[in-house]
Amino acid sequence: MNKMREQSAGAGETKAAELFVHSGHAMGTLFTIYLYAHEQELAEVAFEAAFQEIERIEEALSNYRASSELSRINRLAARQEVTTDPEVFSLIVASLEFSRRSGGAFDATVGPLMRAWGFFNGEGRYPTEGELHHARENVGWEKVQLDVAARTVHFSAAGIELDLGAIGKGYAVDRVVQVLREAGAAAALVDAGSSTIYAMDPPPGKNGWTVRIPNPADRSQMVTTVTLQNVSLSTSGTTEKFFELEGRRYSHVMDPRRGRPVHGVLQTTLVAADATTSDALSNAIFVMGPEAGKKLLATVPDSWGLWILGEPGAQRLVEWNWQHTAGDATSEQYVAAPQKERLNEGT
Amino acid sequence: MNRREFIGRTAGAVGGALLIGDSGEVWPKAKAPSDQINLGIVGVGSRGQQLMRTFLRVPGVRFAGLCDVYEPRFAAGRSITKENTPIYRDYQQLLAARDLDAVIVSTPLSLHSQHMVAVLESGRHLYGEKCLGLTVEDCYRIVDAVKRSGKHFQVGLQYHYAPWFSETLRHIQAGKIGRVTEIYAYWHRNNSWKRPVPAGADQKLERLINWRLYKEYSGGLVAELGSHHINFANEVFGSAPESVLGSGGIDFWKDGRETNDNVRVIYRYPQGTTLVFSAITTNQIDGAQVRVYGTNGTAVLTEADATLYYEPKRPQSAVSEGTVLEHGITTSASFRAELPYRGPGEPVPIPEDRKGNADFVACNSFIESLRKNQRPEADEQTALADGLAVALGNQAIDQGKRILFSEHMRSKGA
Repeated sequence: MNKMREQSAGAGETKAAELFVHSGHAMGTLFTIYLYAHEQELAEVAFEAAFQEIERIEEALSNYRASSELSRINRLAARQEVTTDPEVFSLIVASLEFSRRSGGAFDATVGPLMRAWGFFNGEGRYPTEGELHHARENVGWEKVQLDVAARTVHFSAAGIELDLGAIGKGYAVDRVVQVLREAGAAAALVDAGSSTIYAMDPPPGKNGWTVRIPNPADRSQMVTTVTLQNVSLSTSGTTEKFFELEGRRYSHVMDPRRGRPVHGVLQTTLVAADATTSDALSNAIFVMGPEAGKKLLATVPDSWGLWILGEPGAQRLVEWNWQHTAGDATSEQYVAAPQKERLNEGT
Repeated sequence: MNRREFIGRTAGAVGGALLIGDSGEVWPKAKAPSDQINLGIVGVGSRGQQLMRTFLRVPGVRFAGLCDVYEPRFAAGRSITKENTPIYRDYQQLLAARDLDAVIVSTPLSLHSQHMVAVLESGRHLYGEKCLGLTVEDCYRIVDAVKRSGKHFQVGLQYHYAPWFSETLRHIQAGKIGRVTEIYAYWHRNNSWKRPVPAGADQKLERLINWRLYKEYSGGLVAELGSHHINFANEVFGSAPESVLGSGGIDFWKDGRETNDNVRVIYRYPQGTTLVFSAITTNQIDGAQVRVYGTNGTAVLTEADATLYYEPKRPQSAVSEGTVLEHGITTSASFRAELPYRGPGEPVPIPEDRKGNADFVACNSFIESLRKNQRPEADEQTALADGLAVALGNQAIDQGKRILFSEHMRSKGA
């Protein structure tokens, strides 16, 4: 745990709140929590509780652990109706609900397609017609059948598997926010691999947490900077991961509806009230693109979104309801000209 | 209401609002099937909440009552059941409810005997968190109550049911690592073992939430962590220990706690075998693991898996006497360093149909015991052997002397 000497004492306080930082690997990413506390011991106890909660959720949702509840469901649900607990069931319901609202752009059953395109362990490859056909038969959120009264899950195709990775990290962030609040921490920021962030109450004397959104073509350049409090932000994009085929550049984000990777979108960023929503829908609006994505976001209260489209070097930026920070130079016609703001210059 | 309507209705609850203490009824009530098991729980703390989630993964299980003395636990419990589950501030009131088939007791250790005996006397089956009791007397009091009641009792030693533990035990019993002479078990952490308490909480609330740190309630690290490993050693060695030595202290976390922040206990078993258990709170390189040493190999068990390692092969036949006698032996200053083995091991395979989470297998097994009217595997005798070893291990640490089990155990049949 690191301690950063910052911030001044609030009125009437004998000791200033200090910023403490703690990181840990979980759910295939690096979670980092920044929080202000008056005592190191309070920060340590809050961090411990937070990371225990992340571990609890990973033990429920991991696809890599045979002991997880999701692995149990995936092992059994094609053969029988599997009862699960209300929390995991809620997440599966939420996942299917995001699928329905996004017209299948978000789909937690997309795993076989990712494998067919070589995205899990490799750099990507074009699948054969047979491989693609087989994968598409085993993908589809509508093949996940729920009995709400009995709280059971059943798959109508033998090869279906649920992967809650695109919603689970957001859920873990939301849970950590709750745990931190219960532990008495208010001014904090929870970061899951920089792709999903929840900004709690702002640092002392500030009006929010500064979050910078990089240019996907050159991450040392910032597209925009936002100031957030009590809201979540998620970014989807695979600039580092792509492959080219017949002169076209494909991302590693799959469009489950078409059975092929998304082309022409570099990055999406979404701000929403909670991290479960921002995590799931930043992925959905990446797949949907700005036209359909804006219609979806219009149904999500208090959401704002940002698409960076095109190719590196010839980018175009589209916004929805974006809340600009003063001095922010973002525009609808953004071209990949270097932005003024650079990483490491400090704020 | 069909599924689509339901999903539509909960759409607004997706995300944050779904997650936090919503005491309103989110799920429609299931029709009670004929084999529905209604559970009550006394103690809705972190362990109790995890047990609730796990029991709700077993078909036909419902929570009919939540009991605690700390008000925020009710919202936490209801956020797990997603129902307006009845709440009780007094365990006697919970036990007066008519619709309970079995009760989980997951309260601080010193309260186990009071709560568990009351559950059994109310005619309910019991899932009792480990350890059995804080003292030797507490342990026997609970075992006597199980016998009197004729009800099923399962102790919450979930690793007893962990598939990788039972598979490894099978390999050990089949002689795969030879004759087992020692078990070294570690539960090494690098944290204070403290839970957060709300800002401004008084000492009473601190002691309630962090009960594991106070002797009035807790057997400390030996009870909360060592009990799992002691139970496994009892299974490997096929008996309870016969003596124990111990040491420990409050040497790092001098924060007002009363239970030791570091302990080690050495149990001797009747066949001349030994379990060494160590728990520390200042370094986590070893994590939680059990190392079972046999003459032909080692089994290493963690919270997630098990691995077998084999000793270097011993000579299968004597060398030719002539060679040694004719050429003699050449002297040398060199020596062979006895470095630890750093190579790979052989993972203990778990058959596909036996894979699973220790908590789930344990909870599912308890419910099956009730439905089939079968005695649970980790019953009161398993719990007694474990609980006595914990209680006497703590005595050994506190008194700084070797404790003989025979001086504290009832003779068989008593």
